[in-house]
Amino acid sequence: MTGWFLLLGRRRQEDTVFLLTILLFLTFSFVLHGFLTTGNIIALLRSVALLGILAVGMGIVVIGRGIDLSLVAILAISVAVFLNLLGQSYPIGIALLLALVGVIAVGALNGVLTAYAEMPAIFATLATGTFVYGLGRSQFLTQDVIYLPPGHDLFTAFGNARLASIPVEVVVFAFILVGAFLWLRFSKYGRYIYLIGDNLNAARNAGLPVRPVIVLQYVVSALLAFVAGLIMAAGIHSMNTRIVNSSLLYDVILVVVIGGIGLSGGKGGVRNLIVGTLLIGILLNGMTILDISDLYQNLIKATVLLAALIVDGVLNPRDEQTDQQGDI
Amino acid sequence: MSALIEMRKIAKSYRGAVALKDVDFTLEEGEIHALVGENGAGKSTLTKIMAGAVEADGGTMLFAGEPVAFRAPAEALAAGIAMVFQETSLVPSMTVAQNLYLGDEPFLSRLRGVQVAAQQFLQSLNFTVDPGALVSTLGAAKRQMVEIARAVRLRARVIIFDEPTATLTPEEKRYFFALLRRLKARGVSIVFISHALEEALRISDRITILRDGGLVTTGETPSFTRDSIIAAMVGRVLSGELYRKRDDIAGLRRAGDKALSVQDVSMGNIVRNNAFSLFYAQVTGIFGLIGSGRTETAKIIAGIYKRDFVRGGEIERDGQPIRYRVPRQAMQDGIVYVTEDRKLEGFFETKSIAENLYSGYLAAGLNRSVVVSMREMARLAETWRKTLNIRALESNERVVELSGGNQQKVVIGKSLVQKPRIIIFDEPTRGVDVGAIAEIHALIGGLADEGLAVIVISSYLPEIMNLSDRILVFRQGRCVEEFSPAEVDEERIMYAAVH
Ligand SMILES: Nc1ncnc2c1ncn2[C@@H]1O[C@H](COP(=O)(O)OP(=O)(O)OP(=O)(O)O)[C@@H](O)[C@H]1O
Ligand SMILES: [Mg+2]
Repeated sequence: MTGWFLLLGRRRQEDTVFLLTILLFLTFSFVLHGFLTTGNIIALLRSVALLGILAVGMGIVVIGRGIDLSLVAILAISVAVFLNLLGQSYPIGIALLLALVGVIAVGALNGVLTAYAEMPAIFATLATGTFVYGLGRSQFLTQDVIYLPPGHDLFTAFGNARLASIPVEVVVFAFILVGAFLWLRFSKYGRYIYLIGDNLNAARNAGLPVRPVIVLQYVVSALLAFVAGLIMAAGIHSMNTRIVNSSLLYDVILVVVIGGIGLSGGKGGVRNLIVGTLLIGILLNGMTILDISDLYQNLIKATVLLAALIVDGVLNPRDEQTDQQGDI
Repeated sequence: MSALIEMRKIAKSYRGAVALKDVDFTLEEGEIHALVGENGAGKSTLTKIMAGAVEADGGTMLFAGEPVAFRAPAEALAAGIAMVFQETSLVPSMTVAQNLYLGDEPFLSRLRGVQVAAQQFLQSLNFTVDPGALVSTLGAAKRQMVEIARAVRLRARVIIFDEPTATLTPEEKRYFFALLRRLKARGVSIVFISHALEEALRISDRITILRDGGLVTTGETPSFTRDSIIAAMVGRVLSGELYRKRDDIAGLRRAGDKALSVQDVSMGNIVRNNAFSLFYAQVTGIFGLIGSGRTETAKIIAGIYKRDFVRGGEIERDGQPIRYRVPRQAMQDGIVYVTEDRKLEGFFETKSIAENLYSGYLAAGLNRSVVVSMREMARLAETWRKTLNIRALESNERVVELSGGNQQKVVIGKSLVQKPRIIIFDEPTRGVDVGAIAEIHALIGGLADEGLAVIVISSYLPEIMNLSDRILVFRQGRCVEEFSPAEVDEERIMYAAVH
């Protein structure tokens, strides 16, 4: 059993996943009617792009050995509030600015709770996510679904824009990928995130600005959630806050783990996010075409996630010697 | 006597780079067998193969006459081979007792029962560890004790110790050696890796020497001397005594300006009203037993721990009062602490040597722009690899894959990159081979000659005597006495530390 995992491990995980992705794509192309149509491929790309943008945010946090469970709540509420402000005939600039301030504040709150109050990220972000959703729904929004008021042609035009027939969200996703790659690889803040994820105490002792960087990482992920939400709203001219209760958040975590960004932190990068996004995007799309009910979709996704977590645990033990003791 | 373990032509490569080649090794029933060699010679790798933590690429191993090939430590353990690793493998969030009985707690384990059993067991070994304490709150020495106790408890026929004494004080070492003899009397065979050659000579029955992944020689201990071992280890004769006593006052560095003044510093009941001064251009050695508050005091100075807010005392750097909230502030003021626990808080295990060194550079703000400089990273790696003689099989090897001694050098390099003015070394030569100890000592002396204020904390008296221009002795959370190395002997220091 371990031998098999090791075989997987020798080859890098993302290569294996990439292979799986191609296999899945080919299988769906041959087996599924309506999979390999222009319409579906475009739909596929659009949904992949949204998932991917969120996964970049989650990925950055996970590399820093955190996790952001407030991502989808931020996406939904920030954009819903933004649309609501437009509905109250605020100028778009002001509305955007207000929403942005809120998003940054929530991201910073996540960071402060984990870095300064030293709460476990999983609880802190769960709490802020619930808080944001509760606050938004009770104080600012009167319905679940907020529609884009008429007269914002620029915004809808953005949603329908094509660059050489590539949907705008795909273009944005590509830009974000390139940006994230450069930032993680070549900026010192990117390196800090890897170092903090690898060994927080060593990073602190070395004199790295550990806590500010943790705050930064949550602010970045909140901003990416906002961007994903804006794109979503621009496409369908509304924001349904019930998305918070959907399985989107788990899909995002699935992408990150499947792609091979170990939950133990300090590892992985944009390449992992791309293959993870593609695999999960294709899987979700194919299951929708197959008309598999949500119940079974969730079952399948949960199985894949569990398998990925197990592989992750085997491939990326926190401590090789502890792991090799075999009795822990 | 008959051979309990017999290894023939053992080979191991990592991604094409040879770590072991054609090594033969035999362990007799009931012997203490010392394994020595330079950093990276392959000692840990060979013993990990014995204990099933690493699989060999070639060669055969017989255990009690039967051919075996362990694929996991659990298999070796079941067969009767236990290993105490070089880096600790305890679960920090559990108590000592839980760690001791990890893996075979009675079903529905009662915490109390385990604790009582652990207490009795630890007492029978003469180990002074509180079974109810969380491992994360223990110092390195006590952690090592727990690990040793765990291996002993498993009643293995073979126990492998990878540098067990590196973290122990002289007193604890005596206990440990007595324990080894008791185990031997019970018929347990012991493999014992150490860089302290006197220990190997004193305790072992036979010695095996490795160099660059190959076997140099095996023989009865009486046939070796310290010098002959060193010659075999490094392949040439090293001249000069490693630990000389400095008995002329003229050879000591004179104190420069006052760098730090520590007054009445307290933290809980670990550091109590501690007071001393530190001067530039000098090496100040700090000696004390475990629990004397030396590491804690050092960490307070470097901003890693915070002293008590009320009645916590004063610390002045260059006459300015300081109170750091985070190590970053201390680092920016030129104060750097080199940890004794490299794995837990010293290096970034999944990163390369270059990146580890570069992390220090980045933290110190030496990289002006936001964009990292790959060229600078490569240059740092180049320079420090030479200066500290860091050896890896491949240049981009992850630090976790380096041999223990080389990891230590990376941790030292990473701190020196930051160009500190006050530097605190906590057990700087732990796990480092004899040749490298001399190099690191020369380096530390050189820092003082350049005008830095240097503190060396060590449990090893000869190291303190050799390096220091001034010796402070800590006991029960405070500095109790100051000596000049020219006028004191080891007994008096030890006496001050204990009484
Ligand atoms: N997992 C690994 N991957 C790659 N190289 C490794 C790995 N483990 C060990 N090595 C290399 O094998 C060589 C032998 O290492 P080993 O740990 O056995 O040395 P050692 O004799 O125990 O040294 P030390 O005295 O410093 O502990 C080293 O050069 C090390 O870099
Ligand atoms: Mg070793």
